[in-house]
Amino acid sequence: MIHWLRHSFERLRSVFQRAELDQELDTELAAHLELAIEENLQRGMSSEEARRRALISLGGTEQAKEHHREARGLPAVDTFFQDVRYAARGTVKTPGFTVAAVLTLGLGIAANATMFSMVSGFLLRRPPGRDPERVVVVTSVSPAQGFQPDANAVSAPNYLAWRAAGNIFENMAATDNYRAVSLTSQGQTTSVPSEAVTPEYFTVLGVSPHLGRIFAEGDDQPGRDHVVILSHELWDREFGSDSSLIGRSVRLNREDYTVIGVMPANFQMLGFTPQLWTPLVVTAADQTAAARRNRSLYVFARLKPGVTLAQARAEMKTLGRRAEEDFPDTEKGWGVAARTLPDFLVYLFGIRSALVVMMTVVGFVLLIACANVAGLLLARAGTRGKELAIRMSLGASRLRIVRQLLTEGLIIALLGGGAGLLLAYWGVKFVRANMAFNEAASAVPLSLDWNVLLFALGVSMLSAILCSLAPALTASRTDINSNLKDQSRAASAGRSQSRLRTVLVTAEIAMALFLLIGTGLLIRGVFLIQHQALGFQAEHQITAGVTLDSARYKDPVQQTLFVKDLLPRLRQLPGVGAVAAVSELPATGAGHVTLLIQGQPELPADQRPRTVDVIVTDDYFRTAGIPLLRGRAFTGLDNAAAPRVAVVNQEFVRRYLKDQDPLGKQVRLDLSGSTPAWSEIVGVVGNVKFYSETTRYDPELYEPFLQRPVSSFSLMVRTSSDPNGLASDLRKTVAQADLELPLAHVMSMSTIIERQKGGDLLFMQMLAALALLALTLAAIGIYGLISYSVGQRTHEIAIRMALGATGGDVRRMVLSQGVKMVSIGAAIGLVVALPLPRVFAAVFSDIDTSDPRTYVIVLVAIFLVALLATYVPARRASALDPIRALHSE
Amino acid sequence: MCYTPVLVTQETILAESKLDLLQGTLDLMALQTLAVMGPLHGYGIARRIEQVSGDRVLLNQGTIYASLVRLQQRGWISAEWGTSSNNRKAKFYSITKKGRKRLAEDAVYWQRLSGVMGRVLGMQGEGENS
Repeated sequence: MIHWLRHSFERLRSVFQRAELDQELDTELAAHLELAIEENLQRGMSSEEARRRALISLGGTEQAKEHHREARGLPAVDTFFQDVRYAARGTVKTPGFTVAAVLTLGLGIAANATMFSMVSGFLLRRPPGRDPERVVVVTSVSPAQGFQPDANAVSAPNYLAWRAAGNIFENMAATDNYRAVSLTSQGQTTSVPSEAVTPEYFTVLGVSPHLGRIFAEGDDQPGRDHVVILSHELWDREFGSDSSLIGRSVRLNREDYTVIGVMPANFQMLGFTPQLWTPLVVTAADQTAAARRNRSLYVFARLKPGVTLAQARAEMKTLGRRAEEDFPDTEKGWGVAARTLPDFLVYLFGIRSALVVMMTVVGFVLLIACANVAGLLLARAGTRGKELAIRMSLGASRLRIVRQLLTEGLIIALLGGGAGLLLAYWGVKFVRANMAFNEAASAVPLSLDWNVLLFALGVSMLSAILCSLAPALTASRTDINSNLKDQSRAASAGRSQSRLRTVLVTAEIAMALFLLIGTGLLIRGVFLIQHQALGFQAEHQITAGVTLDSARYKDPVQQTLFVKDLLPRLRQLPGVGAVAAVSELPATGAGHVTLLIQGQPELPADQRPRTVDVIVTDDYFRTAGIPLLRGRAFTGLDNAAAPRVAVVNQEFVRRYLKDQDPLGKQVRLDLSGSTPAWSEIVGVVGNVKFYSETTRYDPELYEPFLQRPVSSFSLMVRTSSDPNGLASDLRKTVAQADLELPLAHVMSMSTIIERQKGGDLLFMQMLAALALLALTLAAIGIYGLISYSVGQRTHEIAIRMALGATGGDVRRMVLSQGVKMVSIGAAIGLVVALPLPRVFAAVFSDIDTSDPRTYVIVLVAIFLVALLATYVPARRASALDPIRALHSE
Repeated sequence: MCYTPVLVTQETILAESKLDLLQGTLDLMALQTLAVMGPLHGYGIARRIEQVSGDRVLLNQGTIYASLVRLQQRGWISAEWGTSSNNRKAKFYSITKKGRKRLAEDAVYWQRLSGVMGRVLGMQGEGENS
C-alpha cells in the first residue's frame, strides 16, 4: 500500500516537473549518443556511419522521450492539460462564440445559484444546538382542515401528561411563543417579542449561553420566576453589550426581573424571533379540564440515545389515543405529530413548496440555456469538421476527440459558472433586500455561502456535460473522407448535426412553453390573491398592538376600564374618524373555536361547527368598514350586565343556519377557562377574509369586548389623512393613559397586509423574471439556428433566386422552417403543461390556477416571439443578391 | 497505459513479424545487469544486455530509459549524475537493497516459468511425433 502510494505520488509529481525531467532526459540521451558514436568509431566506422548507426540503435529520440513520459507520469493528466491549453486557445480565438456561450450559461447558472442561496438559507441551515436532528417537536393534529392542521400547538395538560409518561425522551420542554412584554429601559417603554419557556428548554436544545447561565430547575417556581435571558441582539441594542448586566435587574411588564444570561448571536431558529426568554410557569389552572382547549405550547424533546423518530412517533400516537379516550369532550379527533427540529422549522415556515417550484423553474431555465450552448457548439463543430478530420487521420482516436470537445465544454461551463456567480451576487442582494418584508424572513441570512458555491460548481459541471456531450459524439462520428474531400470554402454541417440542432431548439420551445404556462398560471393565481377584496376597508387605518400586563390589568374589569378610557381620547385626535379595539385585526389569521347552536344536535368535539372568533368594541364594524346586513351592531349597552350577544357573518349563516332566521338564535362557544354561556345572534355582517392570502370565506363570529374583555388586542383607528402621520399622536395618547404601556407594531393596515403578502410579490417578480429569461433564451435559440441555416444555404438560396424565386418565396421558405419547429415544440409543451393546474392545486391549496386563457395567451406569445426571431434572418435571406453570393463561392 | 518493450531478433526482422515481449522483461534485465555490473549509465546497460544476448537480440535502446525511470520511481534503483569514460556528464544507475530483493524474487519466478514453458512445449512436440 505504502509502496503504491509512493509510486503514485512520484508519477503525479513528474506531471508537474515536465520541463525539468524532459531536460534531464535530453542530457542523458545526448550522452547516450556520444557513447554509441564513440564505440562505433572505435570499431572503425566513418564518423557519418557511426552517427547513423547510433541513431538507429537508439530508435528515435522523440519516441524515447514519449515512452519516458508515459512511463514516469500520468498520461491521462497530461492529455487533460493539453486539452485545456488547446481549448483555452480556442475560446480566446473565437471571442464572439465564447461571450455568447458564457453569457447564456452564466444567466442560467446565476438563476440557479440565486435560488439555491434561498434553499441554503431556509432549508439547509442547521438550527443551533447539539445534534438538532435528535430534537423532536411534538405538535397537535387538528381534526379541522386548514393551514398546517398537523402543526397545532399543544395544551398544557397534554404536555404534562406526555412528559410524565415518556420513556423515549431524555427530557422535554414547552414554550409559549408570541408573548409580547413591555421592557422599560432609560425611561422608554417598548414592546418586545418574547417567549416563555420551561427551564429544560435550552438543555433540550443543547445550547450554551454567551454570558451567564441558562434556566435551571426551580426557576419556574412562583416567587423565583422573575429571571430573564436576553437575546444577543436585544442585549446589544438596548444595553450596549454591557457584560455587567448579568445579575442586575431590568423592568419587564412593570416588574423587576434579574438578568441571568445572554444567548449567543447565532442562537436563531427559522420563524421564531423572540428577543428575551422568561420561565414558563405551569400553574394549577393549567391542569384543569378547561385548560385542554387552550392549545398554545410547542413541545421540544430530545430523543434518548438509540431511539428513532419512528419509535417516538408510535409512542406519541399511543399517548394521543389515550388522551382521546380519556377526554373525548376536548380531545376527540385530535392527534399527535412529531417532527425533527430542522424539519419542523422548515415546515412551519411554509416556504418549501415555493422553493421547490422556483428550483424547478430555474432548472428548466438552465436546460434551455444548455440547449442553446449545445446548439452553438454543434454549429462550431460543423465548421471545424475539417480540422477534426485532419486530426483523426493523423491518428487521434475518437475517444481523444470526444475528450477534447468535452474539455472545451468544461472550460466554457466553468467560465459560465464564474460569470453566473458574479451575477448571482447581485441576484442574492436583490432577494435579500426583498425578503425583509417581515422579521422572521429578514432574520435569515442569505449569501453566496459554501453550499451555494458547491452547488454552482456542480451545476457548471452538469452544464458542461449537457452542452458538449451531443456535439462531441456527433463530431467524433465525423466522416474523415467526405470532410477532407469537401472542397467548398464554406463550412458544411453534417446532416446529423443540423438535425440534432433542430431537435434541441424544438425541445427548447417545448420547455419554454411549459415554463411560461406554469409561471403564468401561478402569477395569475397570486395576482388574484393580491388584488382580492378582503371585505373591509384597509386604507386609511392605523393600527397598533396592545398587551395589557397582568401586574396592573389582571382583572377583566381593569381591562374594560382601560379600553373605556383610551378609546374616547383617541377619538378626540384631529383627523380621526372612528376608533375600535379588536382581538385580532381583520385578514391577519384569527383563531378558530368550535361552538354549539341551539336547536342543533350536540355533536362530538371533532364534528362541531367551527368559526373564527373575534372580540370587538362597539364601533368596530363602522371603523373597519364592514357592512351591517341585518339586525344591529354592538352598542355600549352590550356590557357585562346585559344579556350576551353576538354578531355573525354571511358565511356563518350560509353554512350553519341555512334557510333559518339567524336573528335571535342562541350560540355557545367552547372556550377555555370560562363557564360556557349562551349568546344571542343580534346581527349579520359582510364576509371578511380570515387571512389576506386565503381565497375562501370562513364563518365568523363577533363578541362585544365589554362582555368578554381580553388582555391582548389591537387598536384600529380610521383617519381622514395619511394614517402613518398619526403614529406619534397615537403613541402620545396611549402614554397619557398609561406611561408604561408600550404599543407594538404601530403601522397602517395596508402595511400589515403588504407585509403578509411580501413573499408573494417577490415570488411573482422572480417567476416573471425567470419566465422572461426562458423566453428570451428560447428566442435566441431559434434565431441562432435559423440565421445559421440561412448562412449555410446561401448558395442554394442564391441559385433559387437566380432561377426566378422572389424575395417573398425565400422569406416564406425560411419562415416555414421556423414555424414547423415552433409548432412541434409548442404541441409537445402544451401536452406536458395540461396537468399543471392539478399539480399546483395539490401544492398551493389557496391559489386558483385553472385558467384556460393563460394557455392561449402563452401560445400566442411564443408564436409571436418565434416568428420575430425567424423573420429577421428570413428577411436577410430574401434580400440576398444572387449574383454576388454565387461569385463569392 | 503500460509500456511493452519489444525485443526483435535478426530472424524476425527478416520475417517482418514483431514479437511482443512479456511485460516487465526489460525491467528485470536492467536490474540483473546493474546487480552484476555495479553502477552503469543507460547506454552501458543497453549495450550490456545486447552483448549478453550474443548480439542476437537487437534492443531498441531508447526504451531502456522508460524502464529505468519506472524502476527508479519504485525505489528499486537509484541514479546519480557522474562522468562517463569519455568525460561526458551522464546519469549512473545503481541497484538498491529493495531492488536486489525484488530481483531475487523475480528471477526465481522467471526461472520457474521458463522451466515450465520448456516442458509444456516439449510435451507438445512428442505428441506430434507419436
